[in-house]
Amino acid sequence: MIACRLRLHANGEVSRPIADFVGALSRKAELTPRQSYRLRLAVDEIATNVALHGYTGAYGVVDLEGGIDDERVWVRIEDDAPAFDPRTHDPGPRLAAPPARREAGGLGLYLALRNVDAFTYDRVGGRNRNTLVILRTLPDGDTGD
Amino acid sequence: MSFDAKMHVADGAATLRLVGELDRRSAPRLNELIVQAAARQVNRLVLLMDELRYMSSAGLRCLVFAHQKMPRGVEIVLIGTRPEVAETIRLTGFDRSITMEDSVETG
Repeated sequence: MIACRLRLHANGEVSRPIADFVGALSRKAELTPRQSYRLRLAVDEIATNVALHGYTGAYGVVDLEGGIDDERVWVRIEDDAPAFDPRTHDPGPRLAAPPARREAGGLGLYLALRNVDAFTYDRVGGRNRNTLVILRTLPDGDTGD
Repeated sequence: MSFDAKMHVADGAATLRLVGELDRRSAPRLNELIVQAAARQVNRLVLLMDELRYMSSAGLRCLVFAHQKMPRGVEIVLIGTRPEVAETIRLTGFDRSITMEDSVETG
């Protein structure tokens, strides 16, 4: 298992440490570039949402843990922001609107949930726990490129 | 994490070459160029995407911004988008309002 703690500041910048974290985990798990990209994007979007909306731009901590077993790679993201289950976010109205008339934003959580093979949310000890899973086995016909 | 974008205007088209990673930190740079392009009275906004390695939802917000800033009727064209980035664009339906072409040569 590997782990890291992100200390978020007002600008909510999380992309660089997440890219490094997911990159290390992906290499260890021998994920394909596409699998690694999907996992990075999903973790980036969840953590960015915590920074901007969970902590509303204020200081906060996000803990990342990643692990590998025979069939899957998982990343657990925990934070101390108010309870929020990303699965309750409804992107439907934004997706239905013509792109030219959309409000900016609101699609990050949708991207996160669509880019992983499994997602769970739990409220544990007063913290939000989001667990993202990528299956290591590729579906038939997917070369992983 | 690096991002660079340069603009070239010719023949009624503003062409922006995007290099690196487009995320929340780098998106304001692209938005700046979109504002400049909108001021040049072009009829096409072309984004050369083949060197854009990563794009988060912040990049999608740039596309919304481009739609809002460019005058009505300006065509937005993405050329050479890498598969992972293209998947994000298609998944969120932006391909309905943007022309996506495979390569610079065919564009």
